[in-house]
Amino acid sequence: MSASPTIRRSPASSSRDPQSAKNFDRLYKDHVDLIYRFAHRLCGEPEAAKDLVQETFLNAYRGFDRFRGDAQISTWLYTIASRACRRMRRRRKGAPERELSLEEFIPTSDGEFRLQIPIDGLSPEEALQNKELRHALDAAIDQLPKKYKMVLVLRDMEGVSAKEVGTIMGLNERAVKSRLHRARLFVRRQLSARGLGEPLTDHHHDSRG
Amino acid sequence: MAQRSASKRKRQASTTGQPHTHGKSRCLRILRQLSAYIDDELSTNICQEIRQHLGACPNCETFVMSLRQIVSLCRQSPAPALSTADRALMREKILKTASSR
Repeated sequence: MSASPTIRRSPASSSRDPQSAKNFDRLYKDHVDLIYRFAHRLCGEPEAAKDLVQETFLNAYRGFDRFRGDAQISTWLYTIASRACRRMRRRRKGAPERELSLEEFIPTSDGEFRLQIPIDGLSPEEALQNKELRHALDAAIDQLPKKYKMVLVLRDMEGVSAKEVGTIMGLNERAVKSRLHRARLFVRRQLSARGLGEPLTDHHHDSRG
Repeated sequence: MAQRSASKRKRQASTTGQPHTHGKSRCLRILRQLSAYIDDELSTNICQEIRQHLGACPNCETFVMSLRQIVSLCRQSPAPALSTADRALMREKILKTASSR
């Protein structure tokens, strides 16, 4: 993750003075690829991702004077982007957010314990050469309820620490880890027989606990 | 070596449809901790308890392996890139919007 905490700020600078324009260019140049990657992973397609990037940097440009410098610039930008993403989603008025419960991830058939597309013995890079697997993974991440998706993208794809994810999303570390766990279990299930629609064989649980 | 053969036998048993005989609540107790387990955030005692369970339950062992694989796939999932033209075009649009509002 890149960060450039050395951008100079004058407390009195307005967002339209030459120093701000220069700072903006530096901020944009250093971080646009990072924020685009994040936005693309959140939105799942390039046009919406570009809208989100523009909204993020526009807000960063306007709010640069308020950046306190006590966080990494990348954390600050991720925070602006995640808020912008939530605002854009509210405007689209999609389906309400769904809570994921752990019980729903307990396998109920033998085929659900393993991934449906076998990747044993392959490195992740080799496994991802398989187009079917890549599409199934992208689709599973895309189907995640958004608040879980944001944690998975930040933590497991962008490599942000649980503490930083908490700062970005306004959550405590425990809540971040709980959401991350459910998000991983969801994606795992979607890539198992239950998610990929293999005919299921019976899997018995007894009631003794 | 003997341990490895035992583990192999268990895996074979799982793929031949051996029923998962312990209870759902026990599964849930293990399931609750698996991300912390694979992220190495648990105490030695709890890790040992989970490892013991996994050693005795091929289905749960397969489950953990598949969860690890998901995390690795997410970490290595290719990142989409922005073209130079798009980068420049977006910069223009942002600056134009900023100066017009």
